[in-house]
Amino acid sequence: MSEYSEEDKQKVLEKLAQKPWQTRDLAKVLKMKKRDVDKIVKELINEGKADYWSSGSTTYVTTPEKVQEMEAKREDLK
Amino acid sequence: MSDEEFPLLSELKKGPWPSFVKEIEKTAEHKPEIKDLLKQLERSYEDKITYWKHGGIVSVRGYGGGVIGRYSFLAKECPGIAEFHTMRVNQPAGYFYTTEALRKICDIWEEYGSGLTNMHGSTGDIILLGTITKNLQPCFNALAKAGFDLGGSGSALRTPNACVGPARCEFACYDTLELCYDLTMTYQDELHRPMWPYKFKFKMSGCPNDCVAARARSDFGIIGTWKDEIKIDQEQVKKYAEEGVDIQKQVVEHCPTKCIEYDPEKKEIKIDNENCVRCMHCINVLPKALRPGDEKGACILLGGKAPILEGPVMGWVIVPFIPADELADFVKDLAEKVWDWWDENGKYRERVAELVERLGMMNFLEAVELEPDPRMVKHPRENPFFFWREEDLKPRTDPWKIWREAEKGL
Repeated sequence: MSEYSEEDKQKVLEKLAQKPWQTRDLAKVLKMKKRDVDKIVKELINEGKADYWSSGSTTYVTTPEKVQEMEAKREDLK
Repeated sequence: MSDEEFPLLSELKKGPWPSFVKEIEKTAEHKPEIKDLLKQLERSYEDKITYWKHGGIVSVRGYGGGVIGRYSFLAKECPGIAEFHTMRVNQPAGYFYTTEALRKICDIWEEYGSGLTNMHGSTGDIILLGTITKNLQPCFNALAKAGFDLGGSGSALRTPNACVGPARCEFACYDTLELCYDLTMTYQDELHRPMWPYKFKFKMSGCPNDCVAARARSDFGIIGTWKDEIKIDQEQVKKYAEEGVDIQKQVVEHCPTKCIEYDPEKKEIKIDNENCVRCMHCINVLPKALRPGDEKGACILLGGKAPILEGPVMGWVIVPFIPADELADFVKDLAEKVWDWWDENGKYRERVAELVERLGMMNFLEAVELEPDPRMVKHPRENPFFFWREEDLKPRTDPWKIWREAEKGL
């Protein structure tokens, strides 16, 4: 039984589309339990709606579109 | 490759021992782009600075770790290594492979990577050095087909690691291989999807010799031990003595708690087990004569870590003894409580030891529902390096001699 609603999931997805996040920060911003945000993020990753991106030392979660955008920026920097 | 071209690296080829420079040169013979690696390295030695940067897409679909992205700052000068990512592959428990499995890994890495490997990294994984972003997913697919998976990286559970345990070692007090496999399979999500404040490592050593350095290098060290008496085979003790082992000097005088007595006439050993700290020295010197006891299990230590942020920390004993047959369930239950507390309270990049230091052990014990116990030693063998000069040594005081004399009124 999930402890979060579809509405919560949608809120997380909207935030992920804005920029890469660490789930602890996302939980603070959305005033949700970190454990629930973690579960939502896992579900979104399984559905292909979220993906990981790393700054090098830290792994963030965002949408696949945002990952492409970040990588395009990296290419431009080369 | 000429030594004139890379004078500093050529220094690292001298001597009869293996050289990583020679290995890179051999690789460059059939993968010319690897010559750029030598070029960048030579430049790094000249300028005394690294030219690697990291970040970006670091993994394969659905995974948050297992690939460490590496890019070169000298991409224009060294295009062959502009992207040079590391793939971290989950090693089998105890590092046992068939030759066929190793060949498969090497063939895959020849096809998708540089061909350079590091067996094994300091945390235990198989390290495959140097590939490009577009090869990550196909390489992962090929590895998966061969039965291998990526290991942990980033703020996740790192690949659990174990010593060879009962498979090759008579001192193992529990099945390290089984526990390592069990934890790896149970915590796949924690391993591949970084969600915590920072990294978390499990290491399993079968006995206090601690061959995987669990006490120093893991947040959750599980070290085999025993509760009853060391088993002594006096016949074997005699044999050692007859073969020239100086038991008094090599064993008794090295016992840290002086709990061993040796009778040179009978050639027999007596151990005061209540004062034994399971240092393993006597068992290591006389392995045929001395063995760990029958009541086997493990001791759990929390918070061992290498120096990265707040300096090195040795593990703190949090469970002095748990019987071997109860170990797996106990470890999982406790580890999950530790994660909950750490995840809830830990700051960004704060290891569990640092959190215990900040909030206190009492807080931690309450959170994970462990009763305080005087055997929860904070610093077992805190400093493993004791140095002294012969002239600094003073004769040991025997308090009992003084007390007995006092009793007699002398």
